[in-house]
Amino acid sequence: MLALDVRNITKNYPGFRLDNVSFQLEQGYIMGFIGANGAGKTTTIKSILNMIQPDGGEVHVLGKRMADHELELKQEIGSAFGGIDFYMRSRIKTLTDVIKTFYTHWDDDTYRRYLKRFKLDENKKIAELSTGMKVKYGLALALSHGAKLLVLDEPTSGLDPVARDDLLDIFQELVLGGEISILFSTHITTDLEKCADYITFIDNGRIVGSADKEQFIASYRLLNGKESQLAQVRERLISCKVNSFGFTGLIRTEDYDASSGILSAAPTLEEIMVYYAKKEDIRV
Amino acid sequence: MYNLVKKDFKLGVHPMYLLMPVLTGALMLVPGWIYFLVLLYFCWITIPNMFGGFRAQNDLMFTTMLPVTKPDMVKARVTVIVSLELLHIALAVLFGIVNRFLYPNLEYYFFAPSIGFLGLCFAMLAIFNAIFIPMYYKTAYHFGRAAYTSIGFAMLFAGCAQWAGVQSPVLFDLFNGDGHLAQHILILIAGIALFAGCTLIAYRAAVKRFLQVEI
Repeated sequence: MLALDVRNITKNYPGFRLDNVSFQLEQGYIMGFIGANGAGKTTTIKSILNMIQPDGGEVHVLGKRMADHELELKQEIGSAFGGIDFYMRSRIKTLTDVIKTFYTHWDDDTYRRYLKRFKLDENKKIAELSTGMKVKYGLALALSHGAKLLVLDEPTSGLDPVARDDLLDIFQELVLGGEISILFSTHITTDLEKCADYITFIDNGRIVGSADKEQFIASYRLLNGKESQLAQVRERLISCKVNSFGFTGLIRTEDYDASSGILSAAPTLEEIMVYYAKKEDIRV
Repeated sequence: MYNLVKKDFKLGVHPMYLLMPVLTGALMLVPGWIYFLVLLYFCWITIPNMFGGFRAQNDLMFTTMLPVTKPDMVKARVTVIVSLELLHIALAVLFGIVNRFLYPNLEYYFFAPSIGFLGLCFAMLAIFNAIFIPMYYKTAYHFGRAAYTSIGFAMLFAGCAQWAGVQSPVLFDLFNGDGHLAQHILILIAGIALFAGCTLIAYRAAVKRFLQVEI
């Protein structure tokens, strides 16, 4: 079953267009949503959550159309934009007491369990929590109302490596039961190398690829050749960097000819992102 | 919707603004004052501070992420505004009654606290709501222009009504003279009807505008 089905979302802004964004997330998996700053990650997530009205396309969550079942589906979705950054001077207890009244499946025992697990003190004010703790509090809230789909915008940005690693471990534990699915956007690609099952890459408002992680990485090759070899492949490269030793460039695997004699290696997600961003720079 | 109202009173409305009706209501005890000012304090102090607080606390984002609809968000906020307005009016009435007992022989130059004057107060707040609520929901974030405009028009109404009350012997007699209970009740009913009508129209216009707001 699909936890999330985004179909042809289009949104026009002056100077930016979210162009036919489509991707699917199977239930029980983690999808990393990557792209450079301004690529359209947050706009896509806001479209998923019905916070902005797309000009076209539709979103289905757990088999139901979001636009028609917003209230019902929001009971099943846990969302966070970074950490909790509202009512900062309120205590966790006060905020939770308010929030839980909105959810029909709120489970106090689960909430207590996650508070303990995340070492959250209910009497602390939101402003007193570290960035990582704020994200964990957001997760505790989402999980206590039985969210089946977590949609998280940059949950790991601003976290130190230890807190990030801890959070990624939590993500992996959550999907183990096969019921919870996670879509999280990030520009820290190493997070995804560790825990994502699927990758969706957005660049300048367009989905460049959406596939399982290994397949996604395998669909690109990073070439490393002499400057004299550049002319052979230049047309087919997504973008390249030239220096006194030669060039390195990203190419789609289907466009790579192994007999060309140019060395190739599997790129990292970061390299794919960087070379795509470089392509945009050239176009600008 | 009820949850949203509860949320606003628990998180967004500082207890100070629940005490304000008592403090401003007590101004009804100032003998012979311009009593329109008592309710205008709600517009001058409570509204800007409360909406500034909602903005500072990132309430819009918070509320949007909860399982609620946009029309319910507007309905709850309008309910909060109207509840506070009615609280201000109720306390003003209470202190107004005390005023009449305290100064039985006072000659009022401006409008005396009376049933008819209460109707004018409802009309003033009706104008405030009719302008503030739809203007605010154009962004659901910026409240300054909406507050200035709505307060300006409410004050203009109060100023004109009070000026007419002083200048016109007929009006002066109607509001400050003895008798005229039937007319006073009619003015009160008209004021309440205007308040209810304007607030309802404002709510509907606000929902229409808020549905277009991108968060």
